[in-house]
Amino acid sequence: MPKMAQKEYHARKPDTSDIAALVEQAREGNRAAFERLVGMFQGDIFRMAYYRTHSSMDAEDLTQEVFMQAFKSLPRLKAAERFRGWLFKIALNRVRDFNRRGRFRALFSTLDDTDKVDQSYEETRDRPAEALDSLMVKDFWKQIRLFTDKLPRMEKEVFVLRFMDHLSIKEISQVLRKNESTVKTHLYRSIKKFKKGHSIRRLLQEGTA
Amino acid sequence: MSTDKNFHLDEDQLLWAVVEETELPLPLQEHLSACPQCRTNKERFERDLARLGQMAKRFAPSPRGRVSLPEEKPRGSMGWLWGWRAYASATVAAALVVIVVWSFPMFRDTPGDNGDMLAREMQETEQFMAEVSMLVENALPPVYLDISAESSADFDDEFIQFVVPSVEEESLSYDPGKRGALSC
Repeated sequence: MPKMAQKEYHARKPDTSDIAALVEQAREGNRAAFERLVGMFQGDIFRMAYYRTHSSMDAEDLTQEVFMQAFKSLPRLKAAERFRGWLFKIALNRVRDFNRRGRFRALFSTLDDTDKVDQSYEETRDRPAEALDSLMVKDFWKQIRLFTDKLPRMEKEVFVLRFMDHLSIKEISQVLRKNESTVKTHLYRSIKKFKKGHSIRRLLQEGTA
Repeated sequence: MSTDKNFHLDEDQLLWAVVEETELPLPLQEHLSACPQCRTNKERFERDLARLGQMAKRFAPSPRGRVSLPEEKPRGSMGWLWGWRAYASATVAAALVVIVVWSFPMFRDTPGDNGDMLAREMQETEQFMAEVSMLVENALPPVYLDISAESSADFDDEFIQFVVPSVEEESLSYDPGKRGALSC
């Protein structure tokens, strides 16, 4: 990976040793330390939930649940430096539960996937004027969904965790409880399909044009 | 291989380089670092992937509120003392309840009360056993005694013998050897 791209992936990450120190303090009952951790990761977890639910309300609820569970379970976290991966693991489990409930609800509902895309569009349309054209936002999420929904479950999860949630391969293997070579294989297969997905790549190029 | 200008990484090798450059064999890694064309191809693809993440972040809404944590318990560095006080208070409260209940007359049994109760139970038992004995003597209620004639049963043995002769006397009449004597 070139240095510029690496910066894009990692510049936003807080320093691991700082996080570990805050986790240690939070584990000893320091509430302010945990609140700082919330401040660091709330955005990441919210977006992680949003990418998978396409609803900001559901993502808000899931984020709240994730941090509540993390707050309760923090004493059980053995390695403080793995906090980020651990938090994403909690989030992923919550999202899976949410989707399971959603599938059950869908049995009694007539709402289809198209409506879901429109819902996310409605939410993003209210964003400030400096945001890109709302039609493009709508098209972007539609293309993302079209692409990721075609992927097998594991490839989809690895792809989103790597390129949208910006987790390292090591963190992904921790979150998914798979060894690193398995994660790399899934990643390879998914980016191979991404390379062939002309419409989404065209959209990405238009987005920065 | 790395110095050959006509050789370039194929698509699969480029993809593996994007996943993890160290996954490639060492000669290919060397080629990749030396060949501008392969490097450019790889970087172009990586930029697309990085752009995907950037756009996703930009197009996603922001959380509206801050996560609210559970209320802090009124514990400081003397938290253990709060716990100790709570246990002590609970123990004292439980002891008070036991004392109040114990002192209430309904739940209190004195030795005198026990003696009276025992005598009463014995009397009831004797009465009950007397009734059982009477029933053993004659299970019929008094109303039915007249019908059954049991109440005025003063027949003697001679009367009974008359009504129901004993087997010995009756068997004589059926003795084949004495049949003639009896009939005469």
